[in-house]
Amino acid sequence: MNDEANPLLEGLQLRRRPESCAVVIFGASGDLTKRKLFPALYALAYRKLLPEKFAIVGVARSPQTSAKFAAAMKKAVKEHARDPFRQDVWDALSRGMRYVGTDFADAEGEDRVGQVLEEIDAEYGTAGNRLYYLAVPPQAFAITVSEIGKRRHKEGWVRLIVEKPFGRDLTSALKLNELLHTWFREDEIFRIDHYLGKETVQNMLALRFANGIFEPIWNRQFIDHVQITVAESMGIEGRAGFYESAGVIRDIFQNHLLQLLALTAMEPPIDFTADSVRNEKVKVLKSMHTPGPKSVVRGQYGTGFVEGIEVPGYREEDGVAPGSLTETFIAAKLYVDNWRWADTPFYVRAGKRLGRRETTIAIQFQRAPHPPFEAIAGDGLRPNVLLIHVQPDEGVSLAIGAKVPGAGMTIRTVHMDFLYGGAFRTGLPEAYERLILDAMLGDATLFTREDEVEEQWKLVDAILGGWSRDRPNFPNYASGTWGPRSADDLIHRDARSWRRH
Amino acid sequence: MGVVSDIERQLGKLRVLEEADGMPELRTSTMTHIVWCPPEWLAKAKGTLAGLAERHPARTIFLIPESGRKSEVVARAELKGFQLPGMAHEVLSEVIQIRLRGDAVQHPGSIITPLLVSDLPVFCRWRGEPSWGTGELEEILEVTDRLVVDSTEWRRTPAAYGDLSALYERTAVSDIAFSRTLPWRRKLADLWPGIATIEKLRIEGPRADAELIAGWLRSRMKREISLTRRNAEAVEAIWVDGEAVGHGGDPLSSSELLSGELDQFGRDPVYEAAARAALPTPR
Repeated sequence: MNDEANPLLEGLQLRRRPESCAVVIFGASGDLTKRKLFPALYALAYRKLLPEKFAIVGVARSPQTSAKFAAAMKKAVKEHARDPFRQDVWDALSRGMRYVGTDFADAEGEDRVGQVLEEIDAEYGTAGNRLYYLAVPPQAFAITVSEIGKRRHKEGWVRLIVEKPFGRDLTSALKLNELLHTWFREDEIFRIDHYLGKETVQNMLALRFANGIFEPIWNRQFIDHVQITVAESMGIEGRAGFYESAGVIRDIFQNHLLQLLALTAMEPPIDFTADSVRNEKVKVLKSMHTPGPKSVVRGQYGTGFVEGIEVPGYREEDGVAPGSLTETFIAAKLYVDNWRWADTPFYVRAGKRLGRRETTIAIQFQRAPHPPFEAIAGDGLRPNVLLIHVQPDEGVSLAIGAKVPGAGMTIRTVHMDFLYGGAFRTGLPEAYERLILDAMLGDATLFTREDEVEEQWKLVDAILGGWSRDRPNFPNYASGTWGPRSADDLIHRDARSWRRH
Repeated sequence: MGVVSDIERQLGKLRVLEEADGMPELRTSTMTHIVWCPPEWLAKAKGTLAGLAERHPARTIFLIPESGRKSEVVARAELKGFQLPGMAHEVLSEVIQIRLRGDAVQHPGSIITPLLVSDLPVFCRWRGEPSWGTGELEEILEVTDRLVVDSTEWRRTPAAYGDLSALYERTAVSDIAFSRTLPWRRKLADLWPGIATIEKLRIEGPRADAELIAGWLRSRMKREISLTRRNAEAVEAIWVDGEAVGHGGDPLSSSELLSGELDQFGRDPVYEAAARAALPTPR
């Protein structure tokens, strides 16, 4: 008898629980696994959101036993998990944990992974369902996909979470998509952009589409411009190998920043299913026209002070070429050429070693058309700004003008704040928790689709094409500042300015 | 000065003190939380509130009906600050304690109404068995979106479920006793379809929990199921037609249970039907 016929289920607040499965992490000895993936899996186990029949297999080059791997992951969970360590939760999570040390290109090693998975199916009842997590360097991506594809199990489902960078330009992204589709259907591929797993990014959809007051004014008639900032105060943290070949345009702009823009600008989806949401995002990406050279600024940080400490310039970082031309900062003025947004600029910027760590989306509304108080305003009548704090201090604030108490009519800008953690329970779930769980459930809403990735690369390729024709004078901004002077010029030309705080 | 003005003045002073460090703290409220709390329940109610911590930032109003003929209202306000990990700001919740004596006990409405946080839901946790049909209950129901009770605190279980059912059309009602049985109800649901033919239920546990589980099964199955019970502090074991059911799992704390109720909006038809079916059958 099926569940629909069971009258006892109504009102039992049963959460959708994934089907039995094994999670296979390729690149299991890496930092991502320790800092993010295992803490996320532990958080899911802590909340009893994992399937009852569940196992984890770690795969990496370094030879070690399963016991040693488990011990290392236990330590990682103790250090990085957001929940207190509980032995019973860990025991449940690590019960079926195995490790296979192999080169990803080694056919014998890959066969061993297959054998281990079959043993796990027999022992733990994981039913041939596999969630592969590819936390591997880009050069190992193709071979890993092929080896998994060749050994695809006949029974059960297969899903593949693919970490960024997804290619380094449109051509390579197309090739990767082609390779993936040789073995897997699009609905089996989960291209992860962890920004989409953040509560505050999802809250952007709630803010826009669950509140009647915003959507009618969410357009060119009422919005003067939008500013999106993805700023980091830290440097490259020992990732010179990756960063030298990526730069901020591939690291942040191509994925996180364009995704934030797409969510800000998209039309209301008809429902919250994966394809409806992604259809609307891809329409935005297709509507963006290529910015001219004057509309994009790049920069590289030099020495400077961050939080009172002197820090080296990019070219002095370990592993960076002394004459490196890799950009660590980008600012751009972008346009979404559609009915809603025509002529409304989206100013975006991202960079390392900036004034502080913050990711924000600022919607600046048009000024009041006839402010009668302007002559006596305290700090000048400022336009209303709806500021979405993606991180830190997740929340939303609205800047409004208010009368200063007392005689006269002095107007000051004040903030109405909604602090996410203050209104709801503390400890927002980490993005990886939500995304891994969604992948287990087969829900791709918060993952990037093939055509989105391709549109993102088209824009990036156009910008990179412009950059290839000139040689920038790097470094051009001091660490701890808000980027090069040319970034200010970019927005000042339109008689606007970047938000400072 | 009236009592409401006095409370507002006390809160105003406290906010100024809190802001003296130069960092204005935020008061993000999600509700007004009224607690009708006879003195004998006060310590427990405060313990539950402390356990809620920052999970439901609210203006909490304790209404404490005290004995005494002389009509009197005494109020005291305080701010509770919670530091949030990784955030520069602190979250403040307001706790207002109002002691009511004499006629004031039956007329709390005029004090609560001006203190409600505008446009946010009002939850009332009524400690002990509600005083059915009295002025205080009527006035509180007028402003409450959801009444939260715990029928294990009642003397007249299961008969009092009849009085409670008279309120369903006026406000959403939830019963912590029913929430407490959730893990057991899930266990019983797992027994489907075998449980479809159940005739006898035996429960070792408190009266309210047992009556509600039995009522729930009757209402879901739409037929009579007999209940026998042995008393215990919490539900310890259940037998379906003589067969023991696996243990329901660790019980939640009173704060966790109340927290769950404060996240619920709207009526709960499953509970309403269970409580009706828990009523003694007329002989």
